[in-house]
Amino acid sequence: MHPAPAPFWDADAGDARRISVAQVLVYELRVRDAMSKPPITAAPTDSLRVIQELMKSRRISGVPITRADALLGIISIEDIINALDRGYINEPAETHMARNVVTLRDHFSLVRAVAEFDRHEFGRFPVLDGDEHLVGIITRGDITNCLMQHLERRAEEALAQEASLRAARAADEAANRVVVRAHVRTGDYDSAGKISQRMRQVLRDRGVNPEIQRRAAVVAYEAETNIIIHSLGGEIIATIDPDKIVIEAVDTGPGIENVDQAMQEGWSTAGRLPRELGFGAGMGLPNIKRCSDALNITSDSQQGTRLRSEIRIRQTGAAT
Amino acid sequence: MKTPATLKFPPLIAALRAEPLTDRRPDTVTGCYISDLLSDVLAHAEPGMLWLTIQTHRNVVSVAATKDVAVVLFTCGRRPEPEIIAEAEKEGIALLTTRLTTYEAAGKLWEAGLRGENGHE
Repeated sequence: MHPAPAPFWDADAGDARRISVAQVLVYELRVRDAMSKPPITAAPTDSLRVIQELMKSRRISGVPITRADALLGIISIEDIINALDRGYINEPAETHMARNVVTLRDHFSLVRAVAEFDRHEFGRFPVLDGDEHLVGIITRGDITNCLMQHLERRAEEALAQEASLRAARAADEAANRVVVRAHVRTGDYDSAGKISQRMRQVLRDRGVNPEIQRRAAVVAYEAETNIIIHSLGGEIIATIDPDKIVIEAVDTGPGIENVDQAMQEGWSTAGRLPRELGFGAGMGLPNIKRCSDALNITSDSQQGTRLRSEIRIRQTGAAT
Repeated sequence: MKTPATLKFPPLIAALRAEPLTDRRPDTVTGCYISDLLSDVLAHAEPGMLWLTIQTHRNVVSVAATKDVAVVLFTCGRRPEPEIIAEAEKEGIALLTTRLTTYEAAGKLWEAGLRGENGHE
């Protein structure tokens, strides 16, 4: 068994709007995903010399000055060069640090972070959380690395998904299985019968007994029209194996209030329009039952309705 | 085993004074079913039958195809849209229209020899 049979045919395939993965990522990913954390900081009383050593040992070009996670200022490598040049390298950071530092919030999207880098000409931004605590520091390099990592992960996921789809398809082929599936929209009376006809073609191509073809077609057609008339929308999946056809109809609600009642011939909750079109005879579920070798219906107002009909294919059956 | 009533296509057209809407000409029809309820047709029509209805929308073709109905006759002068006729052509179903009412058409068919009493099982 495999979890999801590969779609053989899908009415919804081919979405016109396509956005690149990178475009999605810069909107999806947050500053907190890309920033370096915890930030390497210094105290306001630390000398510029101490900070110079810190920059050298940690290979960084800017050090936020904090007291108990509160950001007071920042010392950049330019400040250190000036201090060496002018001879105040041993003075404390608080006397020379830049105050009123421009910061980013950790929940900002990366696309916004990139815009901030473009607007200001800083090499880095300290990052604050909602409580004004310094939680990280971010550079353009951090953003690039983060995007590269996520792109790589997405690519791996896509490859894995493709491989599992291919495996499922190979398993279908090995089992001589064909899956016909399609979404069904509420009120789409004109499309009724499309899935049923598609499935029928597969059965015809396989030389299945015509009487069994018709029974399967009735089940698929009735299940499809039930979704069109009564549900909020759903899906029909017909799985054709050499020995049986399984037709599943799944919808998203609102559920059948009383399944036993719905199984009675003549009972219908269909409205005026479907009745005028000749639907709503109250014979849909009884017809499905008559044509199925096994039928299972579960329904509730939360989950919607799931119908599973099985029709066995007898290899020796002569045509009627 | 019951022997189904059959009627050749040319006398059928003549009896009904029907106008063919498709190019398809089946040799014969085997029995007849009358209903405007689609599920009722799905339940009771048999392959090769003639189906009388006043419904003219697309689903008539789908239902006829599902049950391998040979000919659909629209009564009371009703006729479907051209794209529905085209679809029937594609599905291999012959469509006819007559000015007769369903009752009158049924009477003419009975007179022409398309008889059979299977009743409701």
